[in-house]
Amino acid sequence: MAPLMLGGISLLLRSARTALRFCAAGTLATAALAGFAALEVLRNGPAESAGGWLMLDALSAHHLLAMMTVFCLSALFAIGYFRDEVLDGRLTPKMAGRYGGLWFGSLAAMMLVLLSNSLGMMWVGVEASTLMTAFLICIHASPGALEAMWKYLLMCSVGVAAAFTGILLVAAATGAAGLHGVDALLWTNLMEAGSRLNPGLVKAGFIFIVIGYGTKAGLAPLHNWLPDAHSQAPAPVSAVFSGFLLNAALYCILRCLPLVEAATGGTGWGRDILVFFGLFSILVAAAFIVMQRDIKRLLAYSSVEHIGIMALGAGIGGAGAVAALFHLINHSICKPIAFFCAGRIGQIYGTHDLARLTMIMRRAPVWGAGLIVSLLALVGVAPFSIFLSEFLVLKAAVDRSMYVAAGLFLLGLGVVFIAVLRHIITMAWRPEEQPSAPIKFSAAEALLIFIPLGVMLALGVWVPETLLDILNRAAQILGGLS
Amino acid sequence: MSILLDTLLVTLIITCFLLLGSSRLGACIRISALQGVVTGMLPMALEDCSLLSYVTALGIAVIGLKGYVFPRLLFSALRESDTSREVQPFIGYMASLFFGILFLLGAFWLDTRLDLPVHSSSSLLVPVAFSLMCSGLFLIVARRTAMNQVIGYLVLENGIYCFGLAVVSGMPLLLELGVLMDIFVAVFVMGIAIYHINREFDHIDADRLSALKG
Repeated sequence: MAPLMLGGISLLLRSARTALRFCAAGTLATAALAGFAALEVLRNGPAESAGGWLMLDALSAHHLLAMMTVFCLSALFAIGYFRDEVLDGRLTPKMAGRYGGLWFGSLAAMMLVLLSNSLGMMWVGVEASTLMTAFLICIHASPGALEAMWKYLLMCSVGVAAAFTGILLVAAATGAAGLHGVDALLWTNLMEAGSRLNPGLVKAGFIFIVIGYGTKAGLAPLHNWLPDAHSQAPAPVSAVFSGFLLNAALYCILRCLPLVEAATGGTGWGRDILVFFGLFSILVAAAFIVMQRDIKRLLAYSSVEHIGIMALGAGIGGAGAVAALFHLINHSICKPIAFFCAGRIGQIYGTHDLARLTMIMRRAPVWGAGLIVSLLALVGVAPFSIFLSEFLVLKAAVDRSMYVAAGLFLLGLGVVFIAVLRHIITMAWRPEEQPSAPIKFSAAEALLIFIPLGVMLALGVWVPETLLDILNRAAQILGGLS
Repeated sequence: MSILLDTLLVTLIITCFLLLGSSRLGACIRISALQGVVTGMLPMALEDCSLLSYVTALGIAVIGLKGYVFPRLLFSALRESDTSREVQPFIGYMASLFFGILFLLGAFWLDTRLDLPVHSSSSLLVPVAFSLMCSGLFLIVARRTAMNQVIGYLVLENGIYCFGLAVVSGMPLLLELGVLMDIFVAVFVMGIAIYHINREFDHIDADRLSALKG
């Protein structure tokens, strides 16, 4: 509830700069609360409140931690990102207040998704987060941003409607299990009913749910809104979109996965669907990354790829699910950093066109180096943790003797690796047409970029016990782990 | 009562075909308003409802929203923009009607294939719901103007509402949540009105794809 109140306050704030600072402070405070709650869950097991309507277990605690990381980083970064725009009046106090309100609104909506036990309330959260974030895209009402917003709203609202149909079908399936009334849609009750649910209806419902939430999660071929929205939104918002909004939608699919498995008697039917969508997303994203000419769109397609990897890992199950959840954390740390750097470089160069971004390491040392390092981490260069999680997904696939899936996965990763490396080389070393002086930067900004990258590096070498514990417990909920 | 229910359902199908076949946006808004009112009357016509007063209140809310509020908003947005008719839809009106017939046939076929636990006295409810959902999606994809896309979304939503009525009569909460989808409609209309989105967005146009650089 805290974010909602904070959102109300920030609508009232007068000065743009205070509004942004307030955003950061409020997000940090919420993060502290959420972190505390997540640790409580790890110590004492799943917690329920509000008559069983809110529930926090290992899976949601894991997602909650990732979400708060993304939001904290983005809120801190927003202070620096909007500074120039505040100074020259492009971001008026009223706009900043609205930005703050929407910011906390979407934070609250995504929290509702993670905390709610009822499939219905989860759906409400997804719907609310769609509405809130739609307006965050067009803080600056340019024609491009408006079109991106319209496309996003239209595609995601149809997706949300499809997901609702899926929930109706699941609700219809509860009749056979003897569940009635409003409690029938509580996830815990559904899990208990398990194999008594009507399998045909649950299957039909799951298809609708995957298509519906998959639209929002950016699984190919339902990803069309994603590159537009990511490239048109301001950088902190893109970071939230990519770092967590997609994961919040994927989370809803993952929540339903064990239900389907229980209802179909563990035949792996639901997992196969996820494997298919995962591989398809990786390959489609790889194809688009090869011919990409805009840095933010490139990052957006990279998100499609990474969501695909997570879906693939969860679809493989067992060790794959652990790897997918680990990958989620890595991606949520790394992708915001890449978007921050790309956003600042875009401000400095006045363009996101890859052909015109040259010698970025010399002209903007912090942002250029940050962008290149985070891109390297994203494509899975060895010491970074994304390499580790991708390798674990691959290993899980081979262990389950899914050789075709493993081969396609490697093909996709290889194509992305080569394509991104080519872009990196031109960005870093192609000579400038008109040499210009390096941009100054502050120590705080450098810290904001390099501390998370350092964490990525550390995670790639050594995974702490507590994190492993969280991952294992969360993967157990997804099932398939002995 | 069953005759009343069937009459309402047939009206829904007819409004659906009218929407598929008409080009004037003003007429489209009126037809969709009629469709909204009919959808709102459906729960009252279902005879096996245990929570009659509750369902009536919900029905009145739906009628008020879809029959009065949305048409008003849409008309004011229509006045703001200078479009009055759909000039060149992606798929022509005759072809659209043909698709409508296909959807209806497909919906009846699907109904026989799926084994749904339907709590309704009319066997028409589920097929009508399916065909409304398909037609709504079709309108969103096949029309260019933002206004018609909103109307398509309304049709889709009416379909889902009917489907919900058929499948989960024991859970009024879900129907209530379905009404929340109307918020999207309100936001769409606001978008049209505030940001003057009256130019055409070519979602699936091949020309656009090259402009967006992959």
